[in-house]
Amino acid sequence: MKQSSSSSCPAVVRVSVPEAPIISAVDVTMCFPIVKRYRELLLHPLRPRRMYTALSSVTIEIQEGDRVAVMGPNGAGKTTLLKLIGGLILPTKGDIVVNGFSTIHHSAAARKSVGFVLNEERSFFWRLTGAQNLEFFGALDNLGGADLRNRIRELISLVGLEEAAGRVVEGYSSGMKQRLALARGLIAEPRVLILDETTRALDPIASDEMIDLILSRIYSGSRKTLLIATHRMDEALKLCNKVLVINKGRVQAFDSISDLKRDRITLPQYYRRALAVGGV
Amino acid sequence: MIPLLRKAGAFVLRDFRIESGYKTAFLIRIIDSMMLLVLFYFLSQLITPSTSPGLKGHGYGYFSFALIGLGFARYFDLTLRMFSESIRLAQVTGCFEAMMSSQTGCITVALMSSLYGLISGGVQLLLILAAGVVAFGMDLTHLNLPATALVLVLSLTIFVAFGVLSAAAVVWLKKGDPITWILGGFGTIVGGAYFPIDMMPAWMQKVALVNPFTYCLDALRMTMLQGYSVVMIAKLLATLLGIVAILLPASLGLFAAAVQKGRREGTLMQY
Repeated sequence: MKQSSSSSCPAVVRVSVPEAPIISAVDVTMCFPIVKRYRELLLHPLRPRRMYTALSSVTIEIQEGDRVAVMGPNGAGKTTLLKLIGGLILPTKGDIVVNGFSTIHHSAAARKSVGFVLNEERSFFWRLTGAQNLEFFGALDNLGGADLRNRIRELISLVGLEEAAGRVVEGYSSGMKQRLALARGLIAEPRVLILDETTRALDPIASDEMIDLILSRIYSGSRKTLLIATHRMDEALKLCNKVLVINKGRVQAFDSISDLKRDRITLPQYYRRALAVGGV
Repeated sequence: MIPLLRKAGAFVLRDFRIESGYKTAFLIRIIDSMMLLVLFYFLSQLITPSTSPGLKGHGYGYFSFALIGLGFARYFDLTLRMFSESIRLAQVTGCFEAMMSSQTGCITVALMSSLYGLISGGVQLLLILAAGVVAFGMDLTHLNLPATALVLVLSLTIFVAFGVLSAAAVVWLKKGDPITWILGGFGTIVGGAYFPIDMMPAWMQKVALVNPFTYCLDALRMTMLQGYSVVMIAKLLATLLGIVAILLPASLGLFAAAVQKGRREGTLMQY
């Protein structure tokens, strides 16, 4: 292993590649405010709100072309980390740089490099067709005219929604919505693609098809950097070359899967050890 | 400029496509306005310049007064609510997060989300005015078009600014937007939309002085019903311009601050 961070926090991983990382997070902490109850409001109206720390002092570097499985128990901070990298939220402390741009200071420029595949089925306009949804989100990503039309055609074919593209999203199955979400995430040809539990709502067959789609048709041609939040070990093993384990808002481990194989450690063993270090 | 226009077109097209699935809603809104038109017509038979001192000396009757008030107050009220409602709807449907993860900034998303509503509201306003002229004989022969257009642009900008302020309140407070609560409903009555301000109690007349509805509706009645030119309403225009100059940058700044706060605290998508 190049560097294991399973013993202490913050976990710093520097893979020995000379190029600048496509994503770097330095000492990132994210705290969410806790809404005051009436009792607190009455008794201590001026006291600052209490904060819940979702991520604490996270420092990681991800190289271009990496496929990182972001794993951890529910509420560990996976989605928070992904949203921070995607620029949807800003860190309370620290900084995240994506493709050379800080998500705090150059948010729009940083977002240009990132495609976000949300796991929220309701993130589409249900009364529009799949193609119309892509047309709208493509325009938000500064595409238009023939370029956008060609891109939509290409993506619809890529995710296998040719027959459904003209139908309203309301009638789509969960799998179809996830495929459409994937197409939306790819529309601006981002260098980094974030997938937040993409297969969560899918049946085993649809889930396998989605994994195949990501690996064979999306990653293989472009060598995009993929960040995939998942609870599924098989998915992580099939899709990713690195695994990042988060627990209680801290990075417990970040290593390459080939190193685990070399050291004869299975992913479930590695995952359990990482959680044991942090204390589940 | 072209990407911005393209985005504006995408928002309008999106909302048109969605709205075209709810044709009855548009029709009901029109019928609702027409019913009010009938109500005001019969009220105008009772309220005459001789019974209402506030209407004296203007050269128009209660029907014309109320029609301008009704049409524009509804339009401005719609403008006021549009921004916060579109943001809240996007938050509830989960589309807000998807839009926020795009390359378009939050302010652009908020402003453009209300474009279709403004256009559709404008069409409704024109239909109400047309019905007033055709079916009830409202006199618009004195209309001063350039002055009316100028007043309309300034008035709309004021209510867009208030709308953005109200959207900032929604981003900040999630529910319970005080701006719409204060200006909508009560604001239209005190602004003289349905009754001349002179008829109101003294305290309401004082409130009317700080209500932007008052100045917008006064200026519109002058230019549409009495043919006042830009020069003749220069003082009112200066007041409207002053409100715009203070309100617009302030509302955009506050909205940007609310969004930044939402991003920092991770509450932007919460509703």
